[in-house]
Amino acid sequence: MSVLASLARAYERLPDAPPFGFSSEKIGFVISLNEDGSVASVTDLRGGSGKKRTPELRQVPQAVKRASGIAPNTFWDKTAYVLGVTAGDDKRTGREHAAFVQRHLEMLEGTEDAGLLALRRFLESWRPEHFVPPLWPEEMKDQNVIFALESDRLQKIMLHDRPAAKALWARGAGADESAAQICLVSGTRGPVARLHPSIKGVWGAQQAGAALVSFNLGAFTSYGHEQGDNAPVSEAAAFAYTAALNRFLEKDSGHRIQIGDASVVFWADASDLEAADQAESFFAAFLQEGDAAQPLDVKADEKAATEKLKIQLSRIRNGEQLADVAPKLESGVRFCVLGLAPNAARLSIRFYFEDEFGTLTKNYQKFVSDMRVEPPPREPSPPLWRYLREIAVLGKAENIPPNLAGEWTRAILSGAPYPRTLLSAVLTRIRADGEVNALCAGILKALLIRTFKREAPVALDTENRNKGYLLGRLFAVYEQAQVAALGSKVNATIKDKFYGSASAQPRKVFPLLDKGAVNHLSKVGKQSPGRRVNLEKLIGAIMDLMEPGEDPFPASLAADEQALFGLGYHHQRNAFFAKSTDTTEAGEPA
Amino acid sequence: MTNVSYGIRLKVWGEHACFTRPEMKVERVSYDVMTPSAARGILEAIHWKPAIRWVVDAIHVLEPIRFQSIRRNEVGSKAPAGKIKSALKRGDLEDLSLLADEDRQQRASTVLVKPAYVIEAHFELTAKAGPEDNEGKHLDIFNRRAARGQCFHQPCLGTREFAAYFELIPPDAPLPSPIAEPSRDLGFMLWDIDHRAPGRPSLFFRAMLDQGVVRIPAPGSPEIRR
Repeated sequence: MSVLASLARAYERLPDAPPFGFSSEKIGFVISLNEDGSVASVTDLRGGSGKKRTPELRQVPQAVKRASGIAPNTFWDKTAYVLGVTAGDDKRTGREHAAFVQRHLEMLEGTEDAGLLALRRFLESWRPEHFVPPLWPEEMKDQNVIFALESDRLQKIMLHDRPAAKALWARGAGADESAAQICLVSGTRGPVARLHPSIKGVWGAQQAGAALVSFNLGAFTSYGHEQGDNAPVSEAAAFAYTAALNRFLEKDSGHRIQIGDASVVFWADASDLEAADQAESFFAAFLQEGDAAQPLDVKADEKAATEKLKIQLSRIRNGEQLADVAPKLESGVRFCVLGLAPNAARLSIRFYFEDEFGTLTKNYQKFVSDMRVEPPPREPSPPLWRYLREIAVLGKAENIPPNLAGEWTRAILSGAPYPRTLLSAVLTRIRADGEVNALCAGILKALLIRTFKREAPVALDTENRNKGYLLGRLFAVYEQAQVAALGSKVNATIKDKFYGSASAQPRKVFPLLDKGAVNHLSKVGKQSPGRRVNLEKLIGAIMDLMEPGEDPFPASLAADEQALFGLGYHHQRNAFFAKSTDTTEAGEPA
Repeated sequence: MTNVSYGIRLKVWGEHACFTRPEMKVERVSYDVMTPSAARGILEAIHWKPAIRWVVDAIHVLEPIRFQSIRRNEVGSKAPAGKIKSALKRGDLEDLSLLADEDRQQRASTVLVKPAYVIEAHFELTAKAGPEDNEGKHLDIFNRRAARGQCFHQPCLGTREFAAYFELIPPDAPLPSPIAEPSRDLGFMLWDIDHRAPGRPSLFFRAMLDQGVVRIPAPGSPEIRR
């Protein structure tokens, strides 16, 4: 199934989606009219308080797509069009207002409905100079405004909700129909949408909305087709998929998360609505748990629900079958995940995954088990963005390489091998930051298992004979010897100076480290001979596993062996901190 | 069904493929499997004459369907035909230039990774076939050319930058087994473009991946939505 077809199906299942011909827009104010056209009141519809007042989302006649032309909306628009008033200094405002007035006067000619008559009289008598406080507040400028009859407004009926207005809108909307062609979403004949409605809410895209399907430049058209004819999608299908996508992209819709620079939208397609909701909350928690900032006013029954969800998730993470944890979700629930990345006024699809929810859960469990290392990272099950930050310069979210994040997410969702560039990205970060934490070690281990198809140990494995692993362990022991000899307040340990070259070119570096270790150990021996013996035993145990004939200190290590180096280093180093009960000397910093 | 006497089977594979969906043409997204029009293009690259018309019967998918996303810098305009004509008439190249730096467009493409297919097809004689044209002759020509690797131009997997390698499967040899994925519905897929009709409309059909094989409806069949 294609992206558009799945979205169109999702539209049909949305409980409160805008009907055909309407769209959800942010409306700030409503102008309330008396029957004779005079203004009764101006009401602020925005929520919130103080400076951060957010406009309300309402369903109004479909917004017309305008880029640089003048095209008024019907029965609503921003104040530049409706009232001829704008905050900045714009030469076009006069023309915009004139276009709005002319369009409506033409449409409302001969109407007898009370509300529409009031609107007509208002437009005939309105002058932009009339915009003065206190009736017209300053903050109303450049907001979207709608109209209502004063008597209707008290019952929450707006002008465009009146039956006469709806009839006018429906007639006007179907006025310019293009020739019917086969729609590639539905397979039936229908008028082709020339321009598809805008998608709003994608992070990083234009504020006015971006387009998923667009052909605005010459290089994008084929066979002499113009605009929408390049890909015939019927008006109904275009409306359906954009309405569904806009709904999913709304803030706090429960259907979107941000991964890197991609706005990821997900939805479930099941005949049982409850199962679909449950699948969606599971998925959101898969990728985001651990950082969910609980709103303070969460209700008691919602709290119980989130607790239950947490328990179910921990069971899934431990490897239990989905059939045992949530049997309704095992089959019959199709789950779709769509990653959208911005590219100026267009949206590109980073990845699209569509499969049974059971398969998705299995892939997620594989991801969790591949990443598991002992000792685990500080937070028990880090969310995905925490891992992504490990590949970003300075750990900042804006430095996450976007292509890599997209490919990695696609690999996680579909259970495919991870991209090899992920390995080089992680190794570069380790070398630059000089730190191998549990998250990095987890990524390295997962890469080894998935991409290089090797075995990689979860916890310290004293029998593993892999060159890279042994060298990593040895490096950790040398570092520990230095710390034991010189204290932990050294300005630059051998890890800071030599990690990069030790992991890439062991043959050059390890003889130096060995000589240095001999000196460190002799100093340690003078203070605490027992500790020296333990360290030497450990070095001996590691070197025991190395065979002289197998080139234990190669001239260079391949990328996957460098990953094992990092893993071995992490395991051995943390073994020192864990074994604090074994040290016989007092006062040793653990 | 394949016309057994005059049908051919050709194995094609490559590093990448992009059978672009018409609706995702700018930020390209590939269909999951090869389109019949792309298969026809490969066959026509090997052998075609106005006397014959290739008809694709089935496409077998041999490798798992995997995607990868790449970003490329392209330009936003096409070479204008009118300007080129007038330049030809004038005899000089002034004003006929495209500065790529000023026209940059970065476009992402979601392409298939290491695809491999077997195309089952046959050809029919058209109205332009002369008295000396018969199916056997063209079939022999095709078999000979495909066996030798001869082609008019390098066949491609969707877009020209993804070259296709091809190998003829002899009539009595067994077919390589397709992927063992469960059957699924691929949605509406482009069947081909009707170049003869005004406006060059696109024709679609409902593609089903059944045991790794996509059966393509014959031209004129009611399954093709037009």
